Formats: sequence, C-alpha cells, structure tokens
Amino acid sequence: MGRKVLILVLMVFVIGCAKKYVLTPEEPVKLEEVKEVKEVKAVKAEEIRKEAKKAESVEEKILPRETKEVAAPVIEKPLFELKDALFDFDRYDIRADARAILDSIASWFDKNRGINILIEGHCDDRGTNEYNLALGEKRAIAARNYLVSKGIAPSRMSTVSYGEEKPACTEQNEDCWQRNRRAHFVVTK
Amino acid sequence: MKRNFKFQISNFKFFIFIFSLFTVHCLLFTVSHAKVYIEITDPALRKLPISINYTGHEEAKEVAGIVKDNLDFTGIFYLIDPDIPGAEITVKIDAVVPEATKVIKADVVVSDLIKNEDILNKRYTASKDILRTLSHSISNDIFKVITGMDGVFRTKIAYIVNSSDKKWLYIMDWDGYNPLRVVTKGLTLSQSWSPDGQYLVYSSERDRNWGIYLLDIRKYIETMLFSAKGLNLAGGISPDGRIAFSSSKDGSPEIYVMNLDGGDLKKLTRSFGIDVSPVFSPDSSQIAFVSDRGGSPQIYIMDSDGTRLRRLTFEGSYNTSPVWSPDGKWIAFVGRKNSNNQIFMIKSDGSDLRQITDKGNNENPSFSPDGMFLAFDSDRDSGKGIYLMSINGEREKRITPKDTKTMNPEWSPYIK
Repeated sequence: MGRKVLILVLMVFVIGCAKKYVLTPEEPVKLEEVKEVKEVKAVKAEEIRKEAKKAESVEEKILPRETKEVAAPVIEKPLFELKDALFDFDRYDIRADARAILDSIASWFDKNRGINILIEGHCDDRGTNEYNLALGEKRAIAARNYLVSKGIAPSRMSTVSYGEEKPACTEQNEDCWQRNRRAHFVVTK
Repeated sequence: MKRNFKFQISNFKFFIFIFSLFTVHCLLFTVSHAKVYIEITDPALRKLPISINYTGHEEAKEVAGIVKDNLDFTGIFYLIDPDIPGAEITVKIDAVVPEATKVIKADVVVSDLIKNEDILNKRYTASKDILRTLSHSISNDIFKVITGMDGVFRTKIAYIVNSSDKKWLYIMDWDGYNPLRVVTKGLTLSQSWSPDGQYLVYSSERDRNWGIYLLDIRKYIETMLFSAKGLNLAGGISPDGRIAFSSSKDGSPEIYVMNLDGGDLKKLTRSFGIDVSPVFSPDSSQIAFVSDRGGSPQIYIMDSDGTRLRRLTFEGSYNTSPVWSPDGKWIAFVGRKNSNNQIFMIKSDGSDLRQITDKGNNENPSFSPDGMFLAFDSDRDSGKGIYLMSINGEREKRITPKDTKTMNPEWSPYIK
C-alpha cells in the first residue's frame, strides 16, 4: 500500500514539473509585474522600455531556476512545502500565522485538484496522553474546517490525531514544544 | 460497520502461562478461622508483628522471599526475623520438589502465638515453573485469614510499552514479574479490564484509523468493538457490562456508552469542545470524565444516563485522567502543578482535595481492586516507568525495569 502511494506521489511531482513554476509562491509577484507593464499607458517610449526591461529581468531571474529544476530530480523535495500550522498551548483555535499557512495550502490545494491530504493533529508532551489525543483531534478538525471554509471539498481531506505520541522533537523547551503543537499535512493521493 | 478480526498467536509462553493458572491446587487440612486479626482501615493501625520461616529445598527460600515481599508491601505487617522473639503470628513454609518431578509441594502453617493455635494449615501443589503464582496464592491465603479481605497478589497489571515509537499492550504480575506481550498491532493505548478480568478493551490506531477493540484474554481472540470515522478512545467498563468511550464521529470528541456486544449505543454529551476519558463509578450509576467546556480541561461527573452534570475540580487549570476508588468514595486524577503533572485525590462530592505525588511527572493513576494501592507512571528517575504506592504513602516501588519506557498501568480486578 505504502509503495503505491509513493509511486503516485512521485508521479504527481514529475507530471507537475512542466508547469511547476505556477506552483511556486513566486508566481503572484510575476503576475503583478506583468500587470504593471500592461497598465502603463504608452506615454514615453523610455518608460515602456524601462518596464519591458524590468519584466525581462524578472523573467531572467525565474528562467534559470526553472531550467535547473527541470534537470534536477525533484522527487525528494516537494515543490510546494506543506508547512505545519501551529497552535497555542492547550488550544485548537487557528492563530493568525496558522491562517496564513492554511491560506497558502488552500490555494495550492485548489490548483492541484487530483491531490488528497491527510491532516495529522499533534501536541507537545506536557499534558496527559488521552487528553492530548483529543486535543490533537480538535486541531486536525480545526485545520480541516478552515480549509473547507476556503472552498476545499471535505472529501479530499482526512484527519487523524496522534496526540503526543509522534513528536517532531523531544527537547524540553518552548521552542520544541511549539514545533510539536501542530497540524501536519501529508499528501495521500 | 463492525468487522471481526480473529488471530491466533502460537505463543508457547502465553499458553503455558494460561495453562499454569489452572494448575495451582490445594488440599485443605484444617478449616481456617474466621476471626479477623487486623482491621486495616483502622487509622491508629498498629503493625502486626509476624515472622516467616522456611524449611525444605531451595525453592522454599524463594517462596518465602516472595511471601515476605508481598506481606511487607501491604504496610500492615512488621516483619521480624524468625530467630528474634516478638512475633505474634508465625508463618512456616515447608516446600519440597520430590525427586524426578517438576512439582512443588508446599505445606504452610500460620500460627497465632498468643492464643497458641494454628489458624491456617494448608498443602499446595503446583508446577515448579509457576513458583511465583504459588507464592502469591499462599500470600493471599495468609492475608485473608488475618484481615478477612482478599489479597491482590494474584492480580495483574495491563500496561503500555513504548518501543521505538510503537505502543504495545502488555500484561504483567502485580509486582512487575512475567511481562507478557499481548497486542503489537498499531499504536495501542487507553486499555480497560472487564469486571471479571477475562477481557481487555483498548484503542488502537491502525492505518490512520482509531478503533476500539475487545480482547478475549484466555482465548487470545481480538474483535473490533467500534470503528467510526475519527478518534475513538476506550474508557471504562461498568460492573454491569457497559463500555463508556469518547468518539469524534459527529465532529468533536463526545462521550458515548454502549453494551459490550455493541448494542444500545447512547450519546451522553453534546458540547463544542473536548469530552474524553469517561470512567464508571463502581456501582455503575455515575460517570466521571474530562471536559474543556468551561475553558480548560477539568473533571466532571454525570449520571450514567447523561443527566445531573456537575463539575468536580475547581483548583488548577488542567485536571485530567480520573479514576474511581473501588469503594466509590474517592477520585484520583492528574493535575498540573508548577509545570509538572501530579496525582491528586478528591472525594466524589468535591471535598478533601489531596496531592499524592510531588517528584517529576506522574500520570495515569489506577487503583488496586482492594483500594489500598495506586499504580501510576512516572519519569522521576531515568525515563518513564510504572510505580506502585500504598494509599497512605508509606510504601512505594518501581516495578518495571529502568531501561524500558513503560506507562499507563491498569490494575486488573481480582482474577479467579
């Protein structure tokens, strides 16, 4: 089962290669530049030339990266990083920073219709095991509900809680505890 | 949709263990007296001076040693060297292994020196490889004839072993010996015993799904009890055979009860937040559980039909893991204090709050069936291990090895 999932994931990334620059966060910037070029009415030839040069230079920046990524095997590194959405201690409401992460996940998800994800809920180890499983569940559900509110079909997202059972780190400090208080996203299809 | 899983494990050691449960039998020579020598609930308790002597083969020394450790841990005996005067009760253990056999024959005589009469005189025969079980049976009989109460020395503790991020269910003797691996599929925890000690119920995460399973211990057959989408955490089993559990199948973790055959499912809570860890009172009439409906995790009690909800804990911002004492008077739980988890006890009417532990993080309390001991896990010394302590705080010992990560002890009922 695990092998099949891995092959499907690899296929997604390989197939996505061709238009992958569409998936990078860079894309909004590029669009704005193009818009600027479009909106500048032809007043002075110089200014037009300046704008064209700007667009060109932007393209120059992007193009080499694009070429490099086509050549390199992208199998190991996902092109879009599914970051963890983090939570406060003993809380499962979506913070502002988590909202930003969920927003970018939502738009990526929206553009990749063939993908399903699993949302894992996790906690730091300071509470008790059973309560932390329930807390992790609330975090996964909260992330899922937020993505649903952004228009993602519920059937594309499953949830599971691991409570404090699968920590990302084990140091006893606030840094590590915060890293563990997370909704973690895994591509499943 | 319930599915039945059957798997038979040809674990030789396991079947020997089960088989051996039936091979300790005894012949009664005289009837033991009904007189109770000690009222163990007496607050001004004087420890009863007792000496334990042994004769026979080398096995006698081992049997006597186990009996001594058992009786000593109860905290109600004052153990005296047999060569020194002062004992009021003597125990004489004569144990031999007849030539060319693998059987122990033990004669146990318990004498009241004040009244100058024998109060117990019994012969035991047992297979030699279950010497510890034999010693526990002897301990139980001695304890019973002196206190009138059943001893816990043949009870078991179900617990969780953390093995490279997997969580496996084990059973061991009450004193930590004879660990037996029972469930190794998936991430397993929140186990509970059935009232007769024949079944274990637990939750297991397999392939990203949390299900509640039922294990017939003797037959070693596992069946799935509950498997809705979401988090399904087994809670306690009532004496009349119902299981309480928490499920998020309707969108948020809520409390449900159900018969052990899967019928009569009832939803008892309906709150936005977390409702988890339900446990029945010993008379089945109430359920204690954890809820964050008031803004932080606290312990609540309701009748087992979901009515008469009331909050039990008001001190501290994080109170979880409730368990009822066998007499229904107390609830032990885990509260956060000074950034650590500690075990507390509170009367079921909310009065008389007491802190029981203070070193390291102490979690998952579980009462012995006679209410005299608490098992719990602690990280106070070299990683998480399982500890026992007497309720009066006098006795405490670690019963799992220091190089293993063990937690979540669940003390069995009396096992026949």
